[in-house]
Amino acid sequence: MNCHECLEELATGSLRELSAESAVSRHAAGCPDCGPLLTQLRDREYQAATVLNTLPPISDPVIVAESAGKLSHRRRMGGVVVTLASIALGLSMWFAASTLIPDIIDGGHGMGGLQTETIPLSCLSPQQAGDIISPYVRGRGRIYYTAPGVSAITVRASPSETWRIKDVLKNFDNPRATTCGASGKANADALQRQLEAGATLDQEQKALEEQIRAKQSSDAPVLAGDKPTPGKQKKPAR
Amino acid sequence: MSGASGALRLEPYISHQMSRRRKRNRAEAMESVAPFRDRSTYALDAQLASLASAGDDTAFTALVTRFQPAVFRWSLIFAQDPDEAEDITQEVFVRVHRKIGDYRSDAPLEAWLYRVTRRTATQLRRKRGRRGRLMLSPAARPERDMYTTDPGGRVDRQRAATVIRELFSDLPRRQREIFDLVDLQGLSPAEVAERTGMRPVSVRANLFKARKAIRDSLLATHPAYSELSR
Repeated sequence: MNCHECLEELATGSLRELSAESAVSRHAAGCPDCGPLLTQLRDREYQAATVLNTLPPISDPVIVAESAGKLSHRRRMGGVVVTLASIALGLSMWFAASTLIPDIIDGGHGMGGLQTETIPLSCLSPQQAGDIISPYVRGRGRIYYTAPGVSAITVRASPSETWRIKDVLKNFDNPRATTCGASGKANADALQRQLEAGATLDQEQKALEEQIRAKQSSDAPVLAGDKPTPGKQKKPAR
Repeated sequence: MSGASGALRLEPYISHQMSRRRKRNRAEAMESVAPFRDRSTYALDAQLASLASAGDDTAFTALVTRFQPAVFRWSLIFAQDPDEAEDITQEVFVRVHRKIGDYRSDAPLEAWLYRVTRRTATQLRRKRGRRGRLMLSPAARPERDMYTTDPGGRVDRQRAATVIRELFSDLPRRQREIFDLVDLQGLSPAEVAERTGMRPVSVRANLFKARKAIRDSLLATHPAYSELSR
């Protein structure tokens, strides 16, 4: 073995496994350049291994274990807090998005998307219509107006809300709906009909009483010298 | 024509056979490593881990006492100095306390701990890299109290830091790890491959590169080195 081969072997070979009988060792024993180099390399790695392998940890294992337990518990709690905070943040963002985004989608920018529309009423009074639609116009800027004596209601809301309000009113504001029978005009008509029916009954009762009276006067016995006395009136059987 | 198609048809079968053979060889290599292990020691480790995962603080303290020197030694592979290795060791046991339930007793606890140490050191290094390199400089760190009461320990640690700086300062992380495990701690390349999850061929290649890089400065003093490098 020459110096080149020896250097190649020393560059990548294991110095731990280098036996005294190996070719490298035998060459190094007789070579004035390779011998000291091999010794230096061995010493350096041996010293490094000794320093690092014999260095003890300075921390007490009991303290390390206690600290590990405490830190672990604290991190676990921290993880729970972070998770809950993340959920709360997510819910807040979802709520904010669900509140704000529909306004934007409606074609406007916040309150700019509101429109005003007057809805005619056929049988509901404006107050009744207002009572029905008030849950649907509770948002910011939403409102309804009623004018006394005009059977219509004016609504200021987004297009989708207006469409919904119309849909709701359609269910109540039609002649077939039971709510129409409860309107003031309908009540007045019903009362008038009842009054007319009552007047007819009175007239019929009077005519019947006249007939009875006339019949009683014709059936009574007439004595001589007596004036015919009027007969007792019979109350008509009801 | 038919021969070519036959070759094409055979190719997947041959590669499958080759991969099976490779797997078998690797398993045989692993089995050849196995005898150095003491199975009763593994059983004790598994029992300690089981008790610690059930919340037994005494078992966890016993586990720390048992493995702290080894974890500290492994931490030195990845650290710039012994103080950083102490920090890594502490962090490793915090993670072990949290994740001891993940340990499966079919593998040695030592190997699992090594993987935890390796991952922890990597993550701490990244975190410190983000916070700035000022923290990594030994001069920026406050001295520990025990150094004032233990001057010998202080000298030992300074020597260790010097060794780390001289040997590993310019070495890539993987080469440094493999050189330390094989040439300084005395593990065989097969054991290192098993512990790091690398292939034995890669371990040997990295080992040769690391040795060459570390020994290069000394080899350069040889008169014939310049001729060799040409």
